[in-house]
Amino acid sequence: MANQYLFGGGRRRVLPWLFLLPGLGFYLVMGVGPSLFTTVYSLTDATGLRGLPISWVGFDNYYEFLLEGARSRDNLDALWRTLKFMVLVTVIQFGVGLLMAILVNQKLRGHLVFRTIFFIPVILGAVVQGLMWKLFLRPGGGPMDTLYGWLGLESQFLSGTNAFYWVVLVQIWANAGFTMVVFLAGMQTIPAELFEAAAVDGARGWSLFKNITWPQLTPAVNTNFLLNIIGSLQAWMLFLVLTGYKNGTQVLGYLVYAEGFGKQGTGSFRQGYAAAASVVLFLLVLVLGMTANFVTTRRERKYLS
Amino acid sequence: MSITADLPSNSIRRDDGGARRRRITRKSVSLFILLTFSVIYVGPILMLVFASFKSLPEFFKDPTWLPDNLEWSNYSEAWSLANFPGYMLNSVLYTVVATFLFVTMSVFVAFPIARGYVKGSKALLTLYVVALFLPPALIPQFQLILNVGGWPIIGDFISNVWFEGSEAQGLFNTRTGYILLFLMNPIGLIILVNYIKSIPRELDESAAVDGCGYGRFVFTILMPLIRPAIATVTVIHAIGIWNELILATIYLTDENTYPITRGLIVFEGVYGSDWPKLAAAVLMLMVPMLALYMFLQRYIISGLTSGAIKG
Repeated sequence: MANQYLFGGGRRRVLPWLFLLPGLGFYLVMGVGPSLFTTVYSLTDATGLRGLPISWVGFDNYYEFLLEGARSRDNLDALWRTLKFMVLVTVIQFGVGLLMAILVNQKLRGHLVFRTIFFIPVILGAVVQGLMWKLFLRPGGGPMDTLYGWLGLESQFLSGTNAFYWVVLVQIWANAGFTMVVFLAGMQTIPAELFEAAAVDGARGWSLFKNITWPQLTPAVNTNFLLNIIGSLQAWMLFLVLTGYKNGTQVLGYLVYAEGFGKQGTGSFRQGYAAAASVVLFLLVLVLGMTANFVTTRRERKYLS
Repeated sequence: MSITADLPSNSIRRDDGGARRRRITRKSVSLFILLTFSVIYVGPILMLVFASFKSLPEFFKDPTWLPDNLEWSNYSEAWSLANFPGYMLNSVLYTVVATFLFVTMSVFVAFPIARGYVKGSKALLTLYVVALFLPPALIPQFQLILNVGGWPIIGDFISNVWFEGSEAQGLFNTRTGYILLFLMNPIGLIILVNYIKSIPRELDESAAVDGCGYGRFVFTILMPLIRPAIATVTVIHAIGIWNELILATIYLTDENTYPITRGLIVFEGVYGSDWPKLAAAVLMLMVPMLALYMFLQRYIISGLTSGAIKG
């Protein structure tokens, strides 16, 4: 048998399980378990307060969230905005990351410095990223404001009507380095002989990229595509730091937090309702993630058969 | 490979002058784009540094450019105005303890899964992979931490044994409860499994033949061998905890238990218009992670991508 256990028989056979249990236990109790229980809570009127009784309300939360009154229209707006955020971030971040990777991969002088610089925001986290850009986008003499001034433009940036798009920009700024690094890792696995052979055949520039780099990059392309979709659907921390919870910039992830934990002045601790919202978000992630996975798997078969 | 056969097989160009000129043009264009990106990437960081050295009047007059003289007092004042030493200590405590526990436990999960030493190891691995798609655990997790103190046996243990004599009711608003939130990380586990698979099985065999026990094998032979993966997972996990804001906001209501991210947001609420001090505070939060990144860059990048591509 291939995976035969080697460290003694009898009672000692339980040792792997024994050592495995703490890690697995915490994962089940604090991770997967609660994740799945979100669906259960979405059918209740749970609150965030200790000791209040919880009762079943069936699909009331979903009905209220999606179909009832003016609030549900706001919710649908948030849902639509989440999708818009996903499309913008996925597409642009994919492009920017790929461009960065191609440029850095040319091994120009200082390419490692560039790689380091582009990756730095990834490790900083949303609080630092957000506060940094709040300063950078400061109206009244901040760098972006100064630049706008030179160009004869005017904007309120994060407190203006286009706040949403500034958050999109910061989100891409914060994560494009990661996309780049995944592409770079993919590029390093392409055998150099392929390029040499193609060069001998006279391929250069664009045709080299189209015929060799792009198809050979398929695994990295798929990974980035999927991660960008899922990541941008679930991202909302930058909204919290940059704009706060206000009309025009809510996305679903933020809505779950605000409704469930009464933050940002909603005064709501409606965790059942918030759980319903997070199930809606989950379905979105599931459907779009599966679709992306289906498309990329077909692509992979086409290129790497 | 068949790809090369599909290419138009032009004759090789011998027009060397043109090729060289094209190469130089391409290099300059590349460099130009890279430098433009760099400005957008370094700009906000530089501005933060500049702002942190300005006096408040100077900042209002000119928030963007270099400071006239260095106002070091922003750092010392920010440090003492809020409880930053305390926040920093909390952040270090949470990060070190949770990361250490998580990594140790995870090696013992990853090893038998990678080797198939437990039944259903494939299913177990899938259980970790699906986590990417699952709904956020936020709300049931909160209910668990909030209410576990009232449960029989385990609640009694928490209130009477673990927190003996303290005010804590269960795990909510306690350092222990907060650390418990960070004892899992599916991506980290997948990275470990993938790496252990590349360690030859013969090693297990010869160690077992020599009479080495399971636990001793993992601690003394396996762990040193998978050091790169351990370093990667350690860094990824530590960065995640260090930067965490939401869980700190939800679970910690006592100011003495705040980690530095939460402290910084509170500080922003109070001193939000005093950007020089706020900038100094942000930089103090950044520096430890930045230093760690510079030292362990290799591990962070390789680990994140290997986990991402294979997982």
